[in-house]
Amino acid sequence: MSLEAPEPSTHADVGVTEEGLDYDALESLLGDAVIGRETHVNAEAFVVRPDRVANALSVLKEEAGFDHCSCVTAQQYEDRYESIYHLKKYDDPTQEVGVVVPTSVSKPASQSGESVYRTADWHEREAYDLVGIDYDDHPDLRRILLPETWQGHPLGLNYDQEQHQVVPLTEHANPLQEDHQEGADTMFLNVGPHHPATHGVLHLKTTLDGEQVADVESDIGYLHRCEEQICQQGTYRHQIMPYPDRWDYISAGLLNEWAYARAAEDLADLDVPEYAQIIRTMSAELCRIASHLLAVGTFAIDVYGDFSAIFMYAFRDREVVQNILEDLTGQRMMFNYFRLGGVAWDLPEPREEFFEKTRDFLDELPTRLEEYHNLISSNEVLQLRCVDTGIIEPEVAKDYGCTGPVARGSGVDYDLRRDDPYGYYDQLDWDVITEGGCDNYSRVLVRLREVEESAKIIEQCINLLEEWPEDEREIQSNVPRTLKPDADTEIYRAVEGAKGELGIYIRSDGTDTPARFKIRSPCFSNLQALPEMAQGEYVPDLVAALGSLDIVLGEVDR
Amino acid sequence: MSLVDILGNALGLGPLGPLEDLLLSFVGAAFVGTFILLNTAVAGPWAKRKITAAFTDRVAVNRVGPFGLLIIIADAVRMLSKELIIPDGVDRPAFDLAPLVLVASALLGFAVIPMGNGIQLADPEVGLAFLFAVASIASVSLVMAGYASNNKYSMLGGLRAVAQNVAYEIPLVITAMSVVLFAGTLQTSGIVSAQAAPLVTIAGVSIPSWYAFVNPFAFVLFIAANMAEVGRNPFDVPEAPTEIVAGYQTEYSSVYFVLMYLGEFIHIFLGGAILATVFLGGPAGPVLPGIVWFTIKIWAFFLFTQWARSALPRVRIDQLIEIGWKGLLELSFVNLILTAVIVGVIV
Repeated sequence: MSLEAPEPSTHADVGVTEEGLDYDALESLLGDAVIGRETHVNAEAFVVRPDRVANALSVLKEEAGFDHCSCVTAQQYEDRYESIYHLKKYDDPTQEVGVVVPTSVSKPASQSGESVYRTADWHEREAYDLVGIDYDDHPDLRRILLPETWQGHPLGLNYDQEQHQVVPLTEHANPLQEDHQEGADTMFLNVGPHHPATHGVLHLKTTLDGEQVADVESDIGYLHRCEEQICQQGTYRHQIMPYPDRWDYISAGLLNEWAYARAAEDLADLDVPEYAQIIRTMSAELCRIASHLLAVGTFAIDVYGDFSAIFMYAFRDREVVQNILEDLTGQRMMFNYFRLGGVAWDLPEPREEFFEKTRDFLDELPTRLEEYHNLISSNEVLQLRCVDTGIIEPEVAKDYGCTGPVARGSGVDYDLRRDDPYGYYDQLDWDVITEGGCDNYSRVLVRLREVEESAKIIEQCINLLEEWPEDEREIQSNVPRTLKPDADTEIYRAVEGAKGELGIYIRSDGTDTPARFKIRSPCFSNLQALPEMAQGEYVPDLVAALGSLDIVLGEVDR
Repeated sequence: MSLVDILGNALGLGPLGPLEDLLLSFVGAAFVGTFILLNTAVAGPWAKRKITAAFTDRVAVNRVGPFGLLIIIADAVRMLSKELIIPDGVDRPAFDLAPLVLVASALLGFAVIPMGNGIQLADPEVGLAFLFAVASIASVSLVMAGYASNNKYSMLGGLRAVAQNVAYEIPLVITAMSVVLFAGTLQTSGIVSAQAAPLVTIAGVSIPSWYAFVNPFAFVLFIAANMAEVGRNPFDVPEAPTEIVAGYQTEYSSVYFVLMYLGEFIHIFLGGAILATVFLGGPAGPVLPGIVWFTIKIWAFFLFTQWARSALPRVRIDQLIEIGWKGLLELSFVNLILTAVIVGVIV
């Protein structure tokens, strides 16, 4: 394919019809690159020749308008390796298509999609790292989550779990040695893995030109806990649900649980009672408020540089949300409250007390937000710091697969709650917040304003719940004791998590545990865009940009 | 009458010989030093916790002793009993000297500050010049610490400290110069006594001619430059936790860290003392004794720095330099020239 900027296509939406996507039109668009068709629960998928991947992706992106490479899933079957590119459109994420790339077991290599979607870079590295597929033409195919010295690919079928990972001392002889570059007028600086501003264990390999960032490379994986593998060993019904709480562990637990619940329910074709959907919507938005407040607070720390008032205020208000969630779920962080087909239990008794407590919080919230705006968004020093720094243009953000407040801060009007409705969101009155500044300031502003919208949603949910007839409070549908979805059904489903699009891919093999469980973490994709934001900026703005991305390393590394 | 004479009188020594003068000077210095350290090392850290907590809606220390006061002892024991870790490859003499120089330079400044009730160790005619000269030795120690630590964060911090001090020292001194024009003397006691005369009398309450009232513009300029000089928010870029970890003091531990930390505290208080002397009438104030008023004034400045710390974001290093060179420097010269004209024409 050519590297020149493509002409704006006159038919950038091939295949779009009134009744949905016409996959036959898309297939004919791809021509002889396609060697087969698969049907996933969420969309059709084309099986593409491994040497024509970039070409096929590029056609789908340029001519059919699939500008969002949401996720790349890799897996090994008995007879083949497979990479699946889950493509969507930012304009309408319900229009999905999968690109399945099979490769042989003896020589698992397929063409890289990195030249089409920048986001494929990290996703393919992860696939290489965990599953063991080689991607030709990939610019930098190294391990990403596991250490460089790791032997084998843990999610491959013939990986020996008992195998010792022996790392000779020579590997770590002098990690500082390459530090000293003769004649270079730049300075290499390790920001992290232990640094006050990395929000966990993240390692930024930074090259400084004076105080300015010449280059920055994220080194992740310090918090890799094999979450995907854990989920592949758990049964659908009960054993998986506790784990999503631990991905984005900063109070976004219910949003994560919903991601699994949505994927698994669609996979096994389970219904969720309306009443339970409202509870889910309400509690998920509470989580979103808690998560956004924390994001704003920690961002303030990154910019203020000290324990400032705004950080503690954010924690004070988040505490109220946590108390409400504790009343509801019995837990403050690791909720484990959603169940396939509903939620674990009804609202706490007495219900009036719960409603009152939540309403008190919502009544108080505008005053609190006013305080935040006084301290943050209308603070001139902060504006001086954050406006026009850490810029990411909308097209670049899309290329990196940015979602959530990061994308919306760049003016990308993309919110799965509205665009791919689930739960009770489409019945409620609320707005998607976007800001066009593309900078650190916009991203924070989006979060602050989204808190208001979440409050609106919660309020409406509470009203609905309060008036719900007592004999119709059905919290769970009838779900078989042991769930065994049909063999070889595949699904990729996403929800709007606190940080963006949180997607789950599940392939079932007819047993009660998933054959492949893949997590598409929004932070993973968002963090990948950090160099775009930080290059040429000063060190303080690198830190601010990182803070405005609001990453949680538990979700990045899984 | 200087502190030495007061001590001599109190001890009934009569006219002092050179040896007695020297000895009493040491006693006086010990007294002043102890007073300052009581404020900065003992009360300071505890107060900082309490003040910051009040600003940020917390309670802070309250378990050890009444109001958590005994935490001071616990802290001291903890800090001093920690292992002193000296990394490989540090430049030993500089690394060891930096904390001492920092503390010494700040303490030395208090020698010429009139604290009221005759407590002033020395009163040279170039008092103010001495004060600024001594206070700016601190930048040398910050560079020493930053450069000797063999750590990139430390070096960045050290370089930032120099850039900042160079940029803000000039406006600071120039603004103080405008006061000197009014007072007609560099002697600190002279500057204080020049502020004693009443400025206006409203309904029987006479407002003294403190230079903060006479020239509020210079006062504001001075506070801004002073905040940068002592490296507090929004100008705390040389330390900048979250950016460069702890700047020049990243590698300091145990006693050395205590000294660095202490040196910074003393510097804030010295900044407050200079501010009080030059703009707030020194130890002057009604009813209470001078030393009490003096203490109140330096604590007020400390409180102000803590307020800024809780409420203001840090500016970026390039913005800091820009504010210094393009803003404060020009304004301070404008202020100086205007003052010179006004003093020349009117006074």
